[in-house]
Amino acid sequence: MTRDDITAVLIEELGQIAPETDASRLDPNAELREELDIDSMDFLNLVTALTERLAIDIPEADYPNLATFNHAVDYLAQRLAIAE
Amino acid sequence: MASERGIALAGLGGSGPGGAILYADVERAAAGAVSGPAPTKRLDLKEMRRAIAAAMARSKREIPHYYLSTTVDLTSAFAWLEAANATRSPTQRLLLAALLLKAVARALGEAPEFNGFFTAAGFQPGSGIHIGTAIAIRGGGLVAPAIRDADKLSLDELMARLRDLVTRARSGALRSSELSDPTITVTNLGERGVETVFGVIYPPQVSLVGFGIPVERPWAVAGEVVARRVLTATLAADHRASDGHRGALFLADIDRRLQSPETL
Repeated sequence: MTRDDITAVLIEELGQIAPETDASRLDPNAELREELDIDSMDFLNLVTALTERLAIDIPEADYPNLATFNHAVDYLAQRLAIAE
Repeated sequence: MASERGIALAGLGGSGPGGAILYADVERAAAGAVSGPAPTKRLDLKEMRRAIAAAMARSKREIPHYYLSTTVDLTSAFAWLEAANATRSPTQRLLLAALLLKAVARALGEAPEFNGFFTAAGFQPGSGIHIGTAIAIRGGGLVAPAIRDADKLSLDELMARLRDLVTRARSGALRSSELSDPTITVTNLGERGVETVFGVIYPPQVSLVGFGIPVERPWAVAGEVVARRVLTATLAADHRASDGHRGALFLADIDRRLQSPETL
């Protein structure tokens, strides 16, 4: 899975949680929770969806790595590399 | 389900977001009720705003609120949660909200005067502990559907109910009974926002427990100042049904229970 694929999955799953999200206007370095008004339940649903779609484990202790869009893509790429 | 009952989806009007066909729409078509009031609360933000306005205006007009506040050290609760979640897959993980709701439910067992309704006949205790859980709706507004018999649910069951309610509240698929059932409301500001919430009681209920966001603060433990994650818990209660002394014991009991999360 390429970085572009991961980006596409992340955009799609963020869209499930925050349907009004305009991916083209998303600041990739801003805090996702602030930017998209995501609460702890939304975030848990996002983690659940990502682990299922990418077949990776995301421990709770790693949540800070998903703070911004860019960090999240980096982190997911790294987890996928470990899984493969 | 539609095919089971011989209904063509193409012929149905959807009442969900963006015209999505909900379970209830199929049920309604199956029952042959083409028109009439929908059995579910649709996500109509204007209607929701009107309902909030009516309930809150009545609350402030009729209910003599009193307010209490206390700071809860969350060290034990977070340590327990982190340990519990470390071995769980995301679908099984618990949120702090589940612990908070359970602590309130258990404390209400000892403080029945905060659980129920105030009517023309005076205070009527609730027939169970049904916690209205305030859920913010994207785009504005909120609903507070009930988690029924919250005191009897395990933390896992409570978390599953909460997850289901939040999902359905945001898609507009709540049953109207879920909105009329609560015997108390809990509002939890989650992880972003402010430290303290001064609740407005949802009539005819008699109390509202509020939790602010967890924050790291200097905290004195055995003569030493240490950094601790704490949260402000508040109680807004109806002075016609209870007094501040009992309210203080109730709020302190919620705190005490959160210090022993393994017993929740």
